[in-house]
Amino acid sequence: MNKKNVLFIIGIILLLIPVVLGLTSFFYTPHPPNTMNVANRMQYPSMEHLLGTDQFGRDILSRIMVSSRYALFIGITSVFFGSIMGVMLGALGAISKGILRGLIMRMIDGLMAFPGVLLAMMFVAALGEGIWNTILAISIFMVPVFARLSYSLVLEQQDKLYIKAAKTYGVKPLRMIYKHYLPAITPRIVTQFSASIGGAILTESSLSFLGLGVQPPNASWGLMLNEAQQYMLTFPYLTVPSGVILMMTVLGFNLVGDQLNDLLVRRKGRN
Amino acid sequence: MRFILSRLLSGVAVIFVVSFITFIILMMIPGDPALLSLGTEATPENVEALRDAMGFNEPWYVQFLEWFTSFISGDLGRSYLYGEEISTLILQRVPVTVSVALLSLLIATPIALFIGVIAALYQNKLPDVLARTLMQIGDAMPSFWLALLLLVYVAAGSSLFPISGFTPISEGFIDSILSILLPSFVLSLGLMGTMIRIVRSSMLIALKEDYMLLAKMNGISKFKTIVKYPLRSAIIAPLTIIGMQMAGLLSGVILVENIFSLPGLGRLLLVAVQQRDLFLLQGIVVVIVSTVVIINMITDILYRLANPTMRIGGRDE
Repeated sequence: MNKKNVLFIIGIILLLIPVVLGLTSFFYTPHPPNTMNVANRMQYPSMEHLLGTDQFGRDILSRIMVSSRYALFIGITSVFFGSIMGVMLGALGAISKGILRGLIMRMIDGLMAFPGVLLAMMFVAALGEGIWNTILAISIFMVPVFARLSYSLVLEQQDKLYIKAAKTYGVKPLRMIYKHYLPAITPRIVTQFSASIGGAILTESSLSFLGLGVQPPNASWGLMLNEAQQYMLTFPYLTVPSGVILMMTVLGFNLVGDQLNDLLVRRKGRN
Repeated sequence: MRFILSRLLSGVAVIFVVSFITFIILMMIPGDPALLSLGTEATPENVEALRDAMGFNEPWYVQFLEWFTSFISGDLGRSYLYGEEISTLILQRVPVTVSVALLSLLIATPIALFIGVIAALYQNKLPDVLARTLMQIGDAMPSFWLALLLLVYVAAGSSLFPISGFTPISEGFIDSILSILLPSFVLSLGLMGTMIRIVRSSMLIALKEDYMLLAKMNGISKFKTIVKYPLRSAIIAPLTIIGMQMAGLLSGVILVENIFSLPGLGRLLLVAVQQRDLFLLQGIVVVIVSTVVIINMITDILYRLANPTMRIGGRDE
């Protein structure tokens, strides 16, 4: 039990780092994140620039702070929208019958077969680059995971007595989902939610890295790594800081998701 | 037999759905493909004629059905960017993508088997803790970042690996492997997290089975028993999830190809997105996703055939 707590605390600490950095960036950054200073370009860490400067002489720490906002915002919002769409779709599939159910399930299978980055790239091609299109793309990518989960959870509930009772009272399907199924499946959805944020942040940074996500002059960890790639042979250090913070953040969300899963789901299963 | 048939049918249904989703998303692209392929100096009459010839004046569902039937027969149309048959463009690039994906599976599977088995045998001891740490890192490591680090700190420092580009097998087996070794290694780390997890857990379950106790009572050495029984189930375990991991693996290939400048499908895809070559994009997407669906289908069927207990009372949903 103690070991579990340690992992949970490590996870919390790891994900608090970008949260604190991002929130702080709204009223304070060590240097203006977009101000270029060519005389100071490509410097290693110093007291003046704690994480050094990039190819335009911009302060890396300040840019990482601002990027945290986008990573967290895009990560959380896209999982939020994706989970709502997915849960509704899965629940609808579970309570419907025949052709409608087949249609919904094949659609989920179809979405599941898309490599995440591919789906996102298609959306960007159709709608153009930008933060909201990135969010839309990632949330669609999140739909099948939540849909499958809620589908199986709702099926599991269907045999329970209270559901049968509600049915005999003639409760309408949508009200049934909202009033009876949703409260019962929420804990599992919550753990899946927290476990998915890490993946969403990874997808955002991958897209931005390909130049299809967050656009300059806005900052994103993936975008910073993209810019670093052009200078990787002359100044390899540029590839390090934004990658480290990206990995720490994803690791933090994954650890917290895992531990929440142990806490809420497995313990319940044991009883 | 009935299972195989129903699995085949649902596979085809999923490919149809996937093509439909792709078609709908790409319909949202603003701009006129006919105008795009003729250039800005085209006369309105020419554009209209080409629109007609390309079938853009038909209702959307007719367009979709026409596209889908020609896709089934292997005709994906012509890329306006390259001016070549899309199927030719894709076929040229498939060997690169397939070699990278295959090599990464070849690297990941034995390592994951080894680590997973050891972790299960020493549950909660140091090797297990190390294995679980590796799993977490594998899951959290952005593949493109690892690729960048390897480029900067390994490829740039040694003459062994080329920094970019692909050497075909015809120009030497070793050189060819070396040119895709780093990208494949990056992808294998991403695969390993899930693989170790499944090997470890199937091994743990097998170790707790009654036959372990029975073998012990009969005085058979632990090592012998493990090799004979639990190890077998552990070896099959990764095979069952390769299908599920396909989508993730191909996501990784797309990214990694672009970093190592490998002329594969991922690279072609990015060009198609950047240049808004609708037909090319559509073709690549449907080919990639159909591959995922087909591999999923095959592993499902194989698994069912290899494991008779799965045949009994297996309801699909």
